[in-house]
Amino acid sequence: MRNSNQHNNSIAISLVRPKSIFWNNLGKNWYKFSRNKLSIVGLVIVTGIIISAIFAPWITPYPEHAGPFIDFNNAGQPPSLQHLCGTDTIGRDIFSRIIFAYHGALIMAFVVLLLAAPLGVFLGLIAGYLRNTWINTVIMRIVDIFIGIPSLILALAIAAMLEPNLMNSMIAISFGWWSWYTRLVYGMASSIRNEYFVIAADLTGASKFHILFREILPNCLSTVFTKMALDIGWVILIGASLSFVGLGEQPPTPALGQMVSDGAGYMPTLWWISIFPSLAIVLIILGFNLMGDGIRDMFEAGRE
Amino acid sequence: MKQVTTNEILKIEKLKKYFHIGKNKQGPIYVKAVDGVDFNIKYGETLGLVGESGSGKSTIAYTVVGMYRPTSGQILFKGKNIGIEASKRPLPTKKEIQIVFQDPGSSLNPRQTVEQILALPFRIHTQIPKKQFREKMVELLEKVELSPDYLYKSPPSIGGGEKQMVAVARAIASEPLLIILDEPTSALDVSVQAKIINKLIELQNEMNLSYLFITHDLSLMRNVANRIAIMYLGKICEIADAVTFFKKPLHPYTQMLISSVPVITEEEENLKPKKVISTGEIPSPVNIPIGCSFHLRCPYKMPICSKVDPEMIEVSPGHTVRCHLFPKPGNK
Amino acid sequence: MKTKENILLDIKDLHLWYRVYDGYLKVLNGVHLMVREGERIGLVGEAGCGKTTTMKSILQILPPGDFHIPQGQIFYKGQDVLKMSYKELQRLRSREIAMIFQDPTAALNPVFTIGTQIGDVIKYSSAFEENEHKEIIKEQSIKVLKEVYLPDPERILINYPFQLSGGMKQRVCIALCISSPRNLILADEPGTSLDVTIQDQIMRLLNGIVRKRNAAIILVTHSLGVAREMTDRIYVMYAGTIVETATPEVLFKNPVHPYTKGLLASVPKISGGGITKGIPGKLPSYLNPPSGCRFQPRCEQASPICSEKPPQLFEIEKDRLVACYLTQR
Repeated sequence: MRNSNQHNNSIAISLVRPKSIFWNNLGKNWYKFSRNKLSIVGLVIVTGIIISAIFAPWITPYPEHAGPFIDFNNAGQPPSLQHLCGTDTIGRDIFSRIIFAYHGALIMAFVVLLLAAPLGVFLGLIAGYLRNTWINTVIMRIVDIFIGIPSLILALAIAAMLEPNLMNSMIAISFGWWSWYTRLVYGMASSIRNEYFVIAADLTGASKFHILFREILPNCLSTVFTKMALDIGWVILIGASLSFVGLGEQPPTPALGQMVSDGAGYMPTLWWISIFPSLAIVLIILGFNLMGDGIRDMFEAGRE
Repeated sequence: MKQVTTNEILKIEKLKKYFHIGKNKQGPIYVKAVDGVDFNIKYGETLGLVGESGSGKSTIAYTVVGMYRPTSGQILFKGKNIGIEASKRPLPTKKEIQIVFQDPGSSLNPRQTVEQILALPFRIHTQIPKKQFREKMVELLEKVELSPDYLYKSPPSIGGGEKQMVAVARAIASEPLLIILDEPTSALDVSVQAKIINKLIELQNEMNLSYLFITHDLSLMRNVANRIAIMYLGKICEIADAVTFFKKPLHPYTQMLISSVPVITEEEENLKPKKVISTGEIPSPVNIPIGCSFHLRCPYKMPICSKVDPEMIEVSPGHTVRCHLFPKPGNK
Repeated sequence: MKTKENILLDIKDLHLWYRVYDGYLKVLNGVHLMVREGERIGLVGEAGCGKTTTMKSILQILPPGDFHIPQGQIFYKGQDVLKMSYKELQRLRSREIAMIFQDPTAALNPVFTIGTQIGDVIKYSSAFEENEHKEIIKEQSIKVLKEVYLPDPERILINYPFQLSGGMKQRVCIALCISSPRNLILADEPGTSLDVTIQDQIMRLLNGIVRKRNAAIILVTHSLGVAREMTDRIYVMYAGTIVETATPEVLFKNPVHPYTKGLLASVPKISGGGITKGIPGKLPSYLNPPSGCRFQPRCEQASPICSEKPPQLFEIEKDRLVACYLTQR
């Protein structure tokens, strides 16, 4: 009798087990996100950009213009039906190049964040939990230094020391970016560490590893993810600034900032060469920032 | 030679806990949260600790369980002194003393599932192999009358009473001997409270537990505790068994507290001592008055009360009181 | 003689729904409540039963946009609050009805002094013509602080909320309510976050003030003992409906509704006797509330009719109403 009860329980449990708290509540999370109409606009923009960037080689009208391509006959054409954003001084279609440039920008943003965030979060957790020790002091003072230097200047300095290419510009930006995550998580960890559930785990004998990664970290993640979503825009902007001065992707691979600087000398006659890439930068940053509010609402651990 | 009575699971001797909060011209300033406390708990007993905010009852709970280290005094658990932080205590001690906090919303990790919450004590304190965790957890949940599907729920989606049941399940998962209950039902409704208290008493009988039960609710205390100790500003004023505590309260503060309990039957109304109107605010534990700490609010104040701190006197077997109205026999 | 003119507040069959992701939370399901001038009413019920929602809907201070009132009326002095214009509502809030909240720390603005906050209330309640004069406002503030027995009112005026204890802050909140003459005070669990002896003091104070000014008060509480000592009539609420109402003497001696009986039995008594098992089951889901009587799933004396139609409040004897089919056999 007892065994069949256990058997029934096991079946009951395996049937009910959901994948995870987040995915189980996908519907609810969407509801929370979509309360803010502007966030939906942002989501549409971002999705559109991401999809076009992924399928760039197939959906752009002139994919070969993103590589070595010269056509002086067509150079300097204003926007028209064949060339939605006009052509640049070498005859390349600006619209196609923008889409490819988005590709590079998105990759850079994701890689930078995937490098900087985990490192920053890890250091922040340790610093926040081990508050009154030398480890904390060392970490936080280093963080102070990196935060004190404006991200653009720091990135420029690092990139200038390295060979200019996409990889190195990503390294340059990550070099200082992690510090903001450390500071964020430090603040959160310091206060969460005093919550009763952390104390309860400690009192019953949990290891420091368990407390840091199983108790404190899950409570920081939503803020961290929100920050990451909002940061994408900024990283793209800094990346564009680097490529503007020639320290990012090298030609002929298109990069947004580089395209803006290409056309700077031809303003205002051949205005489209600079203006459209600039608008492209604005659009992608705007998209991510608009999404940011919705993401924050979605991750807020409210009452259910 | 210390006399260790074998039927006492916990014995607190001259426990003091001061918190250092700064200095002034006269020297360092302390919050004297617990200022010389003695009591014991016998095996299988429930000792009730009653008092208002600032009385030090929660500080005692936290010191016993190991959140704080005593400033002085001894905490004897099964005869051995455990007066250090939990992290320095041996594992068996951590297993045998557990705590249930007041607010289940903050004592359970909102980002974990009940399964993860219960896995921790299972992993650390029991020899149960991981494969059997789920089975054993379902058994545990059954003990506190929660259905198996609670395993996958996370605290924000569970009601307050049920969260507290999960906290109780977590506490008994390691099969402890002593559980400290810090106002476990203060945040809950009266019908939910009834359910939980009943369950706690059931579990106590089933598992031979001893409880240190802390609350400010006197009517609850009457029905839960075997003996009751009442605290004011870091010191114990009176200890008596539950019936005597209400039938013959001796300390003026006890009388004041009992007379302000809101009751719902005539019978209870008649049991209450004559109304003692409490005047003034509760003084803060930073500025403890000289002499008896209660004298500023006491209707029976005498000149000696503002000069000398009274001693704890046993007025009848099991009934002790600290008040100048009951002086040490042999003193003037 | 209780004539129609005496009735200050009359809530009739109030239904209220909150909009959430999964649908509607049908929180209030036919609330009836009546307050006469100078009467002290207790609204008793457990967490989540809708007491605070009812209070907030009297003053229309619910979060905007997310709720819907399918039926019901709230008559204040004969006028339906639900149909009032913004100006009329403002007048209602600044002159007629005041509310004391549960947590005094949250009710006071932490960045302004007590003096500023009381001064603001006096200024905007426009009870005086010379309400612009700082001196007059200060005088009035001190007068009102003295009425709540706060020692050294001059010093309190320049203090910030964090410098006061819980009991003192709650007194300040009471002072805010009485700084101009009011006809109705809504007190939402005013003593809950305070110690027992301080709660006792605050309740006595509130009682004294209400008596002196002949104001009516609705005291929301989940403590039955407090309700017994401080009210003339008690309404018992469960899952958004009023299940029983009577005077305290009658209610506690002889409860009729099964929920009231269960509730009273769960209260621990200082005379001993142990603790009952409480009421089996739990609050129904507001998303899919039971059809018929909302207490029926937990009721040991339920019969088939209980799940068909919700029982109406029925006068079983003078001044005593119960919503239960058991009494209507």
